[in-house]
Amino acid sequence: MQDQAINFQAPTEEAAPILLPPADTLFAERAARFATLAASNSLGDWLGFLGNLSQAQQNVLPLASTVTLPTPGQLALAREHAMPPLDPAKRPSEWRTVLRQLLAEIAVTTEPLPVNIAQALAALQSADDTRLEALAEQLPNGEPAGADAALLPFIAAALQVVYTRQASLLDTATLQKLEHHNICPCCGSPAVASIVRLGSTINNLRYLHCSLCNSEWNVSRAVCIECGSEKDVVLQELAGSGEQKPAAVRGESCDGCKSYLKIVYQEKDPLVDPVADDLATLALDVLLDEAGYQRAGPNLLLIGAHRA
Amino acid sequence: MKINRRQFFKVCSAGLTGSSIAAMGFSPTAALAEVRSYKLARATETRNNCPYCSVSCGVLIYSTGDKSKNAPGKIIHIEGDPDDPVNRGSLCPKGAGLMDMVNSPNRIKFPEVREAGSNQWKRISWHEAFERIAKHMKTDRDANFITRNAAGTTVNRWNTFGFLASSSASNESGYITHKVLRSLGAVAFDTQARI
Repeated sequence: MQDQAINFQAPTEEAAPILLPPADTLFAERAARFATLAASNSLGDWLGFLGNLSQAQQNVLPLASTVTLPTPGQLALAREHAMPPLDPAKRPSEWRTVLRQLLAEIAVTTEPLPVNIAQALAALQSADDTRLEALAEQLPNGEPAGADAALLPFIAAALQVVYTRQASLLDTATLQKLEHHNICPCCGSPAVASIVRLGSTINNLRYLHCSLCNSEWNVSRAVCIECGSEKDVVLQELAGSGEQKPAAVRGESCDGCKSYLKIVYQEKDPLVDPVADDLATLALDVLLDEAGYQRAGPNLLLIGAHRA
Repeated sequence: MKINRRQFFKVCSAGLTGSSIAAMGFSPTAALAEVRSYKLARATETRNNCPYCSVSCGVLIYSTGDKSKNAPGKIIHIEGDPDDPVNRGSLCPKGAGLMDMVNSPNRIKFPEVREAGSNQWKRISWHEAFERIAKHMKTDRDANFITRNAAGTTVNRWNTFGFLASSSASNESGYITHKVLRSLGAVAFDTQARI
């Protein structure tokens, strides 16, 4: 073992309250995580495909570099009124270019292309701008039509690329955490999951991960992200005879307001990803739903799982 | 059908068969069957302070047991609270062993007294303990209370008594401690939480 001086000093740098998405690597790392999870999951085929989709998101990211950012005036206005500077309802028009390239990427990288996906890709490729805007409108409104379930994950993926690029170009100095815990300070979307991070200045702090722009913001642990209660936070994990018991993923639920969101731990698995690991543990969602808890944020790569 | 946002976030077994998974041509059947091989294991997560020393490190306590059911609660894990500005998630070796202190069979859970001349500890009630402490305090205060000093100035001191308050005491209990003890004339009192 090499001799190394022990650093007894606590890190002088404060942990950042807001982490902007590392756009240059984010989707590629997510793709790798999907591939790992797909190898041992009962929905492996689907997760494998979402890995391809994530890689395609990474590949088309340069197309989103031309997105316009909020002006200093808009940033100041948002800050003054404690609002997020990006608005999911006002999509930059680049997203349609990103989507069309994304569809082309998937058609090339996914081999063989399942019939249903080929149909969805064809439907989206032939859709005009009005139709695409109408589809995108369904996501922030939270009222997806059942017939569009196969199309919406692609729409969401393109929007994620555009908003992730926009968020990554913001300056954290112009941002502030908002009053409600479960609202992204960059784009105002709810979180997909929490991640407890480990790093040089971050020692097991919890960050919420935005379902749309992949930004992260710090919220104290053991606090309900929906109602703010510190009294009724319960962590729930999968137990029993099932084969995969993902120790790095738990449901963080609140007995006060009966809501839950998953929380993933880098301490237990450094490669854990809030989006991919969320979709690899749907059994946890089903059981928490049956136990009467309501999920507090969407995973935009899974649409229409609410229908009874 | 109009649904609200919260319903849109929902992931349920009936919903998965009509979700984008199935619409994209993947079968959720095996995953749904697998759900039945699982159950939920739950642990309550709460925030507290280490009781040992004046640093008062923040800790997160994980316990099993559901208050509404017959299962007795048990603390299964204690770790440093990363959000606490004092210790930022770290604990000293003593604090890291907190769980063993909490669950120790040797832990004193009720008042005991060893009478003068006896070598046995005897369990007493809280009521009796408070009564005895109050009597000791009164006897001592009656015997040693100083009303005036040598110069004849009124001082009202009780120098022969001391008090140590808990490190987990809040500002409010600190205020009450101060009011009660000062009004008795006590001079020597302190709290573990004072750094």
